[in-house]
Amino acid sequence: MNRGSAGRLAGRAPSLAVDVRGSLNVVGTLLTYLSASTSVPAGFAIGYGESPWPFLAAGAIAGGFGAGIAFATRGEHRLGVREAFLVVSLTWLAAAALGALPFLISGDPQLDRPVDAFFEGMSGFSTTGGSVVVDVEALPHGLAMWRQLMQWLGGIGIIVLALAVLPRLRVGGRQLLEHEMPGPEIETLRTRIRDTARRVWILYVALTALLFAILLAFGLSGVDEEMSAFHALAHALTTIPTAGFSTKVDSIEGFAAATQWLILVFMVLGGINFALMFRGIVRRQPRAAVRDEELQLYLALLAVGSIVVVAEIWTEDVLPAAEAIRVGLFTAVSTMTTTGFSIADYNTWPALAMMTIVGLMFVGGSAGSTTGSVKVVRHLLLGKILRREIDQTLHPELVLPVRLNRAVVEERTLRAVSSFILLYIGIFVVGAALLAVDAARTGLPLTPFDAVAVSASMLSNVGPAFGIGGPLGSFEPFSDLSTILMIALMWLGRLEIIPIIVLLTRHYWRNV
Amino acid sequence: MKIFLIGAGQVGATIVQALQDDHELTVLDLDESRLAALSQRYDVATVEGNGASRRVLSSAGVAACDLLIACTSRDESNIVSAMITKAIAPRTTTIVRTTNPEYLEVWREGQLDVDFIVSSEVETANAIVRTIAVPAARQTDVFAEGQVQLVEFDVEHQADSRIIGVPLREVALPPDSRVAGIIRGAEFILPGGADVIRAGDRIVVIGSPQAAVAWGELIEPGTGKVRDVVIFGAGRAGTAVARVLLEQDIGVRLIEASLEQARIVAAELPRARVHHATGLDPDFLERERIADAQVAIFAMRDDLKNHYAATLAKVHGARFTVAIVHEAASVEVFERAGVDVSINPRQVTAEEIVRFAHDPRTQQVAMLEGDRFEVLDITTRSRSDYVGKRFKDMPIRGALIGAIVRDGIAVFPHGEDVLRPGDRAIIFTESRRVSDVERAL
Repeated sequence: MNRGSAGRLAGRAPSLAVDVRGSLNVVGTLLTYLSASTSVPAGFAIGYGESPWPFLAAGAIAGGFGAGIAFATRGEHRLGVREAFLVVSLTWLAAAALGALPFLISGDPQLDRPVDAFFEGMSGFSTTGGSVVVDVEALPHGLAMWRQLMQWLGGIGIIVLALAVLPRLRVGGRQLLEHEMPGPEIETLRTRIRDTARRVWILYVALTALLFAILLAFGLSGVDEEMSAFHALAHALTTIPTAGFSTKVDSIEGFAAATQWLILVFMVLGGINFALMFRGIVRRQPRAAVRDEELQLYLALLAVGSIVVVAEIWTEDVLPAAEAIRVGLFTAVSTMTTTGFSIADYNTWPALAMMTIVGLMFVGGSAGSTTGSVKVVRHLLLGKILRREIDQTLHPELVLPVRLNRAVVEERTLRAVSSFILLYIGIFVVGAALLAVDAARTGLPLTPFDAVAVSASMLSNVGPAFGIGGPLGSFEPFSDLSTILMIALMWLGRLEIIPIIVLLTRHYWRNV
Repeated sequence: MKIFLIGAGQVGATIVQALQDDHELTVLDLDESRLAALSQRYDVATVEGNGASRRVLSSAGVAACDLLIACTSRDESNIVSAMITKAIAPRTTTIVRTTNPEYLEVWREGQLDVDFIVSSEVETANAIVRTIAVPAARQTDVFAEGQVQLVEFDVEHQADSRIIGVPLREVALPPDSRVAGIIRGAEFILPGGADVIRAGDRIVVIGSPQAAVAWGELIEPGTGKVRDVVIFGAGRAGTAVARVLLEQDIGVRLIEASLEQARIVAAELPRARVHHATGLDPDFLERERIADAQVAIFAMRDDLKNHYAATLAKVHGARFTVAIVHEAASVEVFERAGVDVSINPRQVTAEEIVRFAHDPRTQQVAMLEGDRFEVLDITTRSRSDYVGKRFKDMPIRGALIGAIVRDGIAVFPHGEDVLRPGDRAIIFTESRRVSDVERAL
């Protein structure tokens, strides 16, 4: 027997099944690109006579670090399905860290603690919109604009990563998306997803520009005395991504009613599937777009949620009729689309309105939109799965395919949807419990209901919740432990859980 | 007429039997023993060879024939035969038998250069629908791919009093339908608004499938609509039947033993309830209340299984059973076993081909009352005097336009509608006026 070949057969197995070096290489490269964005707030800082150094230094440090990692891990890599999970998860942590750097370097008193700055960075890139800053207007213009820009980049990031990267790696909603975009457009998978990402980009930039132009016009024409060019840009950057950071202490409340209605409309737009919107607007197939089941349910849920909230605050005499309609609608839309802008403190509203607001946090917008949370299509499919289960209880032999927009949805996808929702609820419950326990430990005035709302709000990337984390509050009083927990919830919610959970399994890392 | 027939199986043999007296037949098949059996019984020429080969076809003299019938069991081979024949002899009329309804669809869209296509599955489905769709009807005929039905009823005393003895113009008739004729003993009335229907009349109604059902309910209250049909076997035949029934808003339950096939059919027919079961399990039959179905259709591939399942269903109390049988001999066996109707797809296909071979001018013809009345399906020429006229302005000459098919969709015309060139008119007329009608259009 040839001993040499036997030796080769029994050779050492690779210790890891994942190409960590290759993954780090991609993360480093992405971080390098992303760090270039710090030049924008640096420009604003110069324009407003502030120091640009925090941004330039942050950009240099993050860029250098990213490039260093990329250089250190250069070489041949095996990048596939497995590595994608690691790349996505780490990239979002790295992005949040980049977001935190300018706050730390500038040493602004409201954001000088690393945990707080990291929270702000994660809340920014994940388009959550919850903040540890108590007085936003006291921040320098550069830092304030950096918060808005993070959210805008995070919004497009959802789309580019979710549509361009994640689907190719078969994570999450690829099959769902395929069902939303049937027809002759489907060429090969790669070109289609790249095309989609490009179209979505164009639409995203166009909608942002449009909103900025209208807001600016409102300001210049005197429709809204409060609306300066700075505020117009700041809010245009965080409305389409359904993100929710504001450059005003009282969020949108101080702006004119017309501005509030306008932002409401754009929040609704931000919650629509961008590929579908592209078809409806650019391709001029509005009928096909309107017939989309998910869009119909999305609009229906928005309507139902709004009606309940409006009716409740109107009949309970919280506000007079005209105002109740505007405030109720705005709050419901802002919550369901996971934006998190507010125009009223709903902490004192009647119980049903409060419960509805927490409920709406679990809805979200359409798949392929900028919203967080569970997303309407998953609710839609879950409803269909449940209806089928009930039917099959009586008729066990029935073969009932689940359809979405007439096309049959694969069983695998249905299983993925059910497991996602279970995981989502599980993480939400654990998060709420831990927050409540930690609040009790540190003596934080957080009721169990508040803890539930904060957990839901963080996981769904909404932002404001109830109690001290309410629309006019701040997350500053939370302990470091709770803050880290909330960062984890935002991270999980933003990446739709699975990519991160997968990293916790043994067989992700090892073959046997 | 010189007729060239490719395929000497069950369908071919039935066609030979029907046509050999009046026509000059040449039969082509790969199997010598089948040809021998045919030539012993009938006076037909036979050629052994491949019907999809140009060399074989032209040396057998296909160029001289008037009509080519390709009815082997292989769809593609039949289509190739017809296409080669069209190339050799452009004036020859070609008829192709297919088992795949998709070819029928392609042909209807004009993408297949064949004069006439007969799909066994669709013909069988139509035959079944004719049997069960309107229980009160004496006779049902289907036109325009099932969109138009012509139904004959005997009006008895139990008929809805709103339609008896009242001038037709005052009766709220089911929409998309009209009374095409009233037969009262030897008298025939082409009804106008002043005419009345009386008990004892036999009436002819043209209308949409829904209207036909509504009429059934008027004529014999309580029997109106078939709501619940169970089909055993979701293969091609079962699926085709289910599709036709669903188009007529009849509720369908399918029972299929193969999970894979059940999934495919469930995806294809969203409104059908597909069960993954053998249909031979008494517990299943009991739990799903199969016996409550108004009609049970057995469309599995195996006659033996159909036979057993039908008998079992009868034991469980099934009221009306229809079997699709594959062997000619099975028809009698099934009827002995108490199956109410058995249909042999090959027989149905052969009949359809023969009907067309007799008279290829009009697309579809039905005879009523022996041969006193005919239903014509004529495409309007652009030079016709009637083009552009409103229906109410057309002189009635013993004929009635029951429906027109415009761009593939059946329309039930009102007085103000206008006839356009290219419309297919479904016309009910007395047989002696057929040539007048054809000339006018």
